Amino acid sequence: MKNFIEVTELKKVFGNGEDEVHAFGPATININSGEFVSVLGPSGCGKSTLMLMVAGLLDSTSGKVEFENKVVSGPKTDIGIMFQDNTLVPWRTVRGNIELQLELRGLNLKDYQEKINNILKSVNLDDFADRFPNELSGGMQQRAAFCQAMIHDPKIILLDEPLGKLDAMTREKIRADFQKLWMVKKPTVIFVTHSIEEAVQLSNRVILITPRPGKIDREIKIDLPYPRDLQIKRSAKFTEYVNSIQEVFHKYGVI
Amino acid sequence: MKKFIKWIASGWMLILFFVGFFLFWEYSIPLFDIPRYILPSPSEIVLKGSADLDKLVYYTGVTALETVLGYIIALILGVGFGIAISFSSILRRTLYPFFVSIEMTPKIAFAPLFISWFGFGLMPKVIIVVLVCFFPIVLNAILAFNSLSNELTLFYQSTGASRLKTFFSIRLPAALPQCFVGFKYAAINATVGATIAEFIGSDKGLGFYISIVTGNMRPDLAFAGIFFLTVLGLTIFGFVTMMEKILIPWHISMKRINK
Repeated sequence: MKNFIEVTELKKVFGNGEDEVHAFGPATININSGEFVSVLGPSGCGKSTLMLMVAGLLDSTSGKVEFENKVVSGPKTDIGIMFQDNTLVPWRTVRGNIELQLELRGLNLKDYQEKINNILKSVNLDDFADRFPNELSGGMQQRAAFCQAMIHDPKIILLDEPLGKLDAMTREKIRADFQKLWMVKKPTVIFVTHSIEEAVQLSNRVILITPRPGKIDREIKIDLPYPRDLQIKRSAKFTEYVNSIQEVFHKYGVI
Repeated sequence: MKKFIKWIASGWMLILFFVGFFLFWEYSIPLFDIPRYILPSPSEIVLKGSADLDKLVYYTGVTALETVLGYIIALILGVGFGIAISFSSILRRTLYPFFVSIEMTPKIAFAPLFISWFGFGLMPKVIIVVLVCFFPIVLNAILAFNSLSNELTLFYQSTGASRLKTFFSIRLPAALPQCFVGFKYAAINATVGATIAEFIGSDKGLGFYISIVTGNMRPDLAFAGIFFLTVLGLTIFGFVTMMEKILIPWHISMKRINK
């Protein structure tokens, strides 16, 4: 059987002629259904470019992306997406923003009210459903954005450094929230990050990207049981994974 | 009532300033022996102005009609062209630079030409108001509709929603704050356009009134006319600001003002 997502010789070059910038690839990646895969690399290595190409939101220069054997040729719609700068609109409340996802997809809001309440409760935002984004802290905004990205039960979740702007404590908390939701719903997740610890804690597999033009250095399977709580993070095996990844990036002079 | 007290409490410095300003004006005229045909006192302006009240009110109506009509037409055209230019790459390469270059010319310089083309009636004044208001509205609308964040663009693309749906759900509300920058700027300029058009050629309106009474050495009546023009300008600006508060109460800049 073929893989759920197959990325074959995917490459991206921006501009042309003298202004040409080779941003990413070529790279080949396979991802299984329900897998949590982190794409880890230094900034500017093209990992976000890779994510957008997988989602069909950016055309590739060469190579192809296939979902369940179907070649991606335009924006994929059975996905949930989340960025460092969230996609909450300031004129809607938290609930309204989650409903925006449903409205744009032409789904019936009434069928989802119970679900919205549940997902908000699962990330401790149930008391803030009727608040506007600018009344929330950065961490709460990202949790609301996560609900927005998840509400329609997408098969694939794309996370582009969603915790990048948050402080260390908030990151820790939201990681645990993400993990909890992922364990329940088991969507396929592609998580773009430059935090080694974050990648090791959350993923089944970490893909290491070299500095630009980003190519795959290696893939590391993280063989630790879920949920990965504080105890696991203190384990020798966890540290070993983190150290081995650090060594790779050290080799490139990134750290 | 509570709100009113709060408003007085927060605005007392401004009120005090205005009271002080007019008192200074009133008493510096006898003090420095300023002739009344140069600068009349506020009390004289009120006294003489109220004798001419019927005319002033009528002329305010005339100028208001020109201003409001021109403003509304500019609003419709400005937003319409703004959206068209934002969504069409051909228009963005043709009309947009054309508009930007015309923005550099002082539109009011066209006023005598319009009067000579279209006569003394309502139309040339409305056209001049449109001309003065159109550019800030259209240029801000273009900016507004082009500045949607990359993230939101990718987000709506990932939902597969139609262009019409995304326009009304995301693009339009996201553009409103920047649009209102243009609306407000145009509202300030609208009465200027109407007044200058009336200076140049008309037989009624506040601009006409001010130019006539100034010629008759009646600065007291000119100030009365200016007062009514100010009230008209403030009313239009206040209305636009009110619409802003109603339409985009969520906007950050509104929140800051309220605090």
